[in-house]
Amino acid sequence: MIITRQISIRLALIVVVCVLMQISFFSHFAFLGAQPEIVPVVVAAIGLLGGAVTGGVVGFATGLLLDAALLQTMGVSSLILLSVGYLAGRYREGFEIDSSLGPALVAGGLTLLAAAGFVALQMMLGVEAQVSGLIVREILMKGIFGFLLAYPLYPLIRFFLRPALVLEDSPARRPLFRGRRSKPEPRRSRRMSTPGGVA
Amino acid sequence: MYRKDVRRRRTILVALIVLSLILLSIHFSEPRSGPLHAIQRVVAAVLSPFEAVVGQALKPARDLVNWFDDTFEAKGKNEQLREDLAAARTELAQAQAAIGENTKFRELLGLDRNELAGFVPAFAPVTARVIVRSPTVSNATLGVNAGSEDGIEIDDPVVAGAGLVGRVAEVTSGTAQVQLITDPRSSVSVKLVPDGPQGIVEPEVGDPDDLRLDFISNDDEISEGQQLVTAGWSNEEYSSVYPYGIPIGEVTETTLGDENFQRITVRPYAEMRALQYVQVLTGGPERPGIDE
Repeated sequence: MIITRQISIRLALIVVVCVLMQISFFSHFAFLGAQPEIVPVVVAAIGLLGGAVTGGVVGFATGLLLDAALLQTMGVSSLILLSVGYLAGRYREGFEIDSSLGPALVAGGLTLLAAAGFVALQMMLGVEAQVSGLIVREILMKGIFGFLLAYPLYPLIRFFLRPALVLEDSPARRPLFRGRRSKPEPRRSRRMSTPGGVA
Repeated sequence: MYRKDVRRRRTILVALIVLSLILLSIHFSEPRSGPLHAIQRVVAAVLSPFEAVVGQALKPARDLVNWFDDTFEAKGKNEQLREDLAAARTELAQAQAAIGENTKFRELLGLDRNELAGFVPAFAPVTARVIVRSPTVSNATLGVNAGSEDGIEIDDPVVAGAGLVGRVAEVTSGTAQVQLITDPRSSVSVKLVPDGPQGIVEPEVGDPDDLRLDFISNDDEISEGQQLVTAGWSNEEYSSVYPYGIPIGEVTETTLGDENFQRITVRPYAEMRALQYVQVLTGGPERPGIDE
């Protein structure tokens, strides 16, 4: 991903809208005992599109905003979400993504890990309440929601960040890639132009 | 070149992790008036109008989703509610008889009604709309669209029509964060009514619908359906955050514990996940150890 000022603004907008949608809309539902979480899905999608560094930085910033907006302990969400973004980016750097199932599985798995990570971190921070067995169901449900939400969210994020993606299909986008950093590695360029619109 | 990239990536990762840990440490160690808390309140205050707009704009969609959810739940609850109604009618009759007796005894003893009216009427309730909720498993908090400008202060009790919801944990000029009684960090001293023992109500992480009542001896007789209210204890130095008499919920299950205490499950009256409006009880009598 080529990070220009315009792309940075787009990333910031995605983060703000995602956090607002999460705390003002998605957190108000509970299906089968769990709230759907779009924040880890969006961070994972950005990591999958932009790589480990972009994913980690965006995850950290998203966590900061989430903690500030909810007036909760600063640093907790940052730590979890930077891990989500980084791991998604590492996956992208190490594996081919050649179907829409891949991003959904990665997002679902990382959402599940994030939910479990939040609980573990809270326990380490001195919460002494007992843990119910129902928490396993809730964490699993969050993972399933993450998997399902990735199907609409990943293409949507990809669409918004399209000008930054190396060697996109549209010739109209190409001028954006010119310049010193516009020569991608051959392996990456093949992966970015895989059929089905999945990068 | 590749090694340089890997080194750069790892450096950024380590730097972000260290930064997160520093933020965590500062947040725990500094007082509420500290700079990090102040920045957090500013960000929350800036975001709150957007949260309110997004919340209002998407309310129809939210209502639609909740309607489906409520419809499924309502079928299951219908039978239970009929039984509860029958029990409530019996209790109402008993309560009215008790009120009559109480009035007579007060007259006989010459007691001033206002002095014994309890704490709750002495508060000034501020109605607020729920605008944000925490999405995380182990963090049961919500944000409301009223803050210090409306007279809300930290540790003010929060109620909904049915019962206790929680307490104010943080406050900005226009918003407040409410820590629900289902939050893992919450514990409430309670009394079983009419003349039961006192205990502590705490949540179980991962179970937002039920609470646990602790420190009730195996010798105490507790029945299913028995109600709990806030104990509202106080002495010269310390006091409970909550005043006496706010309904919390009712006992749904009791089993004898392995040690000296029973294992009691409580179903809260307030449906934490369906809350749209709450009342923050502001003002009220001074609470030693809290309002200082």
